[in-house]
Amino acid sequence: MSWRQTKAAPFFVGYLNAVPKPLVVFLSVFAVCFIGGLGLAALALSSTQNDPGNGGFQWGNRFEQAGLLELRPYPVFRVPADGDTPARTYMLAGQGKRGAFDAAEANREKTVSLRGVPVNRGDLTMIQVGKVTAADGEMTGFTPSGPVPLGRWKLTGEICDGKCYAGAMRPGRGLAHKACADLCLTGGIPPVFVSSGPVEGRNFFLMADSEGNLLGDEIDPLLALYIEVEGDIERLDDLMVFKADLTTARILK
Amino acid sequence: MSVQFTPVIWNRNKILYDAVLLIAVALYLYVFIRVAPAFEDVTKPVDGAILRTRAFGSCAFLMLTVILCIGPLARRDRRFLPLLYNRRHFGVMTAGIAAVHANYVLGWYFNFSPTDKYVALLSSNTSYTQLLGFPFEAFGIAALLILFVLAATSHDFWLSFLGAPLWKALHMLIYAAYVFIVLHVALGALQGPGDPIFTAVVAASVVLVCGLHFATGRMEVGRDRGEETAKASLQDAGWVVAGEVGDIDNNCARVVTLEGGERVAIFKYDGKLSAVTNVCAHQNGPLGEGKVLWGCITCPWHGYQYNLADGRAPAPFTEKIPTYRLKLIGTTVLLDPNALPPGTHVDPIVIGADA
Repeated sequence: MSWRQTKAAPFFVGYLNAVPKPLVVFLSVFAVCFIGGLGLAALALSSTQNDPGNGGFQWGNRFEQAGLLELRPYPVFRVPADGDTPARTYMLAGQGKRGAFDAAEANREKTVSLRGVPVNRGDLTMIQVGKVTAADGEMTGFTPSGPVPLGRWKLTGEICDGKCYAGAMRPGRGLAHKACADLCLTGGIPPVFVSSGPVEGRNFFLMADSEGNLLGDEIDPLLALYIEVEGDIERLDDLMVFKADLTTARILK
Repeated sequence: MSVQFTPVIWNRNKILYDAVLLIAVALYLYVFIRVAPAFEDVTKPVDGAILRTRAFGSCAFLMLTVILCIGPLARRDRRFLPLLYNRRHFGVMTAGIAAVHANYVLGWYFNFSPTDKYVALLSSNTSYTQLLGFPFEAFGIAALLILFVLAATSHDFWLSFLGAPLWKALHMLIYAAYVFIVLHVALGALQGPGDPIFTAVVAASVVLVCGLHFATGRMEVGRDRGEETAKASLQDAGWVVAGEVGDIDNNCARVVTLEGGERVAIFKYDGKLSAVTNVCAHQNGPLGEGKVLWGCITCPWHGYQYNLADGRAPAPFTEKIPTYRLKLIGTTVLLDPNALPPGTHVDPIVIGADA
C-alpha cells in the first residue's frame, strides 16, 4: 500500500474504536512480529554473552590463617610453608571498592591472624579482609623470603583491578568496566596486570611502578585497554610482582 | 482532540497499543534474564546485576530503534500510521526502561565505594582525550537526559504551551539521543570481547534507521518533483495549475508543492473543492494524506479536524490553519499560492459551476 490516501483505502482515526478490518489484520500481524521479534532478540543476545570466567567469592571456603602483613607496595599477607604446602603470598582488599591499607599499616610486619573471604580466579587469589587480630606466639621466627628477580619483560595484556577481575564482578574486565576499575584502584584495591602470555606459568601480576612504589593516576589512560608495557618482574613466594615502566607503555587496541 | 488537558485520554486503541508494548517489553526482559541464561555456554553465570543492566539497556536501544523507524515507515506505507498515533507512550516507556538501566549501572559499577556514586559516575573515568577508553557513560547520560526531557514534555499541554514549531524542534532531539546511544554502545559494550550477535544487532539498527530515513527522504523529494504542475506552470496572473479535478478522489486530497516548498492540500468533497495548508496545527501531520470525515478534514496522525471552508477546528476546539483560494477552468484546478491567514473563510469551488 502506498502513502497516498484514496477513497477506497482504510483510514484510521485513533479515537474511534472501530479500526478498519484490513488494518486490524495488518496491525495484528505487526504486533505478533514485534513481540516475537523482541523475544527472539532477547534469546539471541542473552544466550551468546561472553564467558565472564570462573572467578568468584569463595563464600563456603572462608580464609583464616596466621601470617605477616606487608606492603609491597600494596597490602599482602605472607603465610609460611606448612608441611607440603609451600609459603604463599596473598593480595588483600577491603570490603567493597576499598583497599586494606588501614589494616596493613596498623599491623605492618606484625604476625597476625587474618580472617576473610577469598576471591579466586585460577591462580589469582585476593583475600577480602574481614578481621585482623594479633596471632598466638607459635609464629615467632617466621621470616618471609625476599623477592626473587626474574629479569626485565615486555608484557601484553590489560591492567585490571585485582578484586573485580578475580571474580568480585563477572565480568570484571574490559572497557565497559573501566570506570569501575578506576574507582576500585582509587579506593585502594591492588592493580593486577593480566598478561596474554605467561611468565613462569603465571598470567596475573600485582603491579607497582618501576621503583616498586604505588601506582597513581598515571595508569588511568591505560586502564582496561589492551597494552604492551615493559618492566621488571619479581616472584614473592607464589605471587608475581610486575614493576611496570609506564613510559614504555603502548596501547595496542 | 481535547479542549482540556487530562493526563491520558484513554480509548480502546491506546489500551491495545500499550498492552502490546508491555507484553513485548515484559517478554524481552523475561527471556533475557530468566530463560536465555540456561542456554549460555559459560563457566560461571554473569552477575545478576550486570545481566539486568544489559537486559534493560539493550531493550531501550531496540525500542528506540523501532520508534525511529515508525516515522519513515508511515510515510512510505499508510498502514503503519496507527503506530504513530500513540508513539509518545512508546517513547515514555523507553525513557523508563533506559532509567532502570542507568539505575542498575549506578547501583553496581559505581556503588560499594567511599565515593558518592553520582560523583563516581562523573569522576572515575576522565579520559576524554582518547577514543579507546573514552568515558562512554557521558553519552549515556546525555541520551538519558534527552529522553527524560522528551518524556516530560510529551503531553499535549507542552505542545500547546511551547507551540508546535518549538515543540517539534525539541522532540527532534530524539535523533541526537539515538546518536548518543549508538556512541555509548560503540565505545562501551562493543569494545569488549567479540560478540558477533550484539555487534550485528547494533549494526542492523543503525543501517535500518539511517536507510529508512534516507530512502524516505528521497521518496519525498521525488514526490515534490512529481507535483511539478504547481511549480512549473505559472498561469493566469499568479495562479498556478494544480492538476485535474478528476485526479482527486472524493473525500480525499491532492497535495501540491509550491515554489518555496510549501505544500497545499486540495480536497474534493460533495462536488466541491477547498484548499488548506498540508500542515496540521497539532504536530505538523500531513493533512493532505487525511480524509474528509463528517464534513471535516481529518489528520491521519491523531485525528485532528478542520472545517474545509475556513480551516478552523469545529467548536469547541480552537486550532486554525491557513487556507488558499482556488479557481476551476474547465477541469483544471488553479491555486493562488498566497496563503491566507489561519482560519480565513474561502468559498468552496463548486465543480461544474463555471461551465
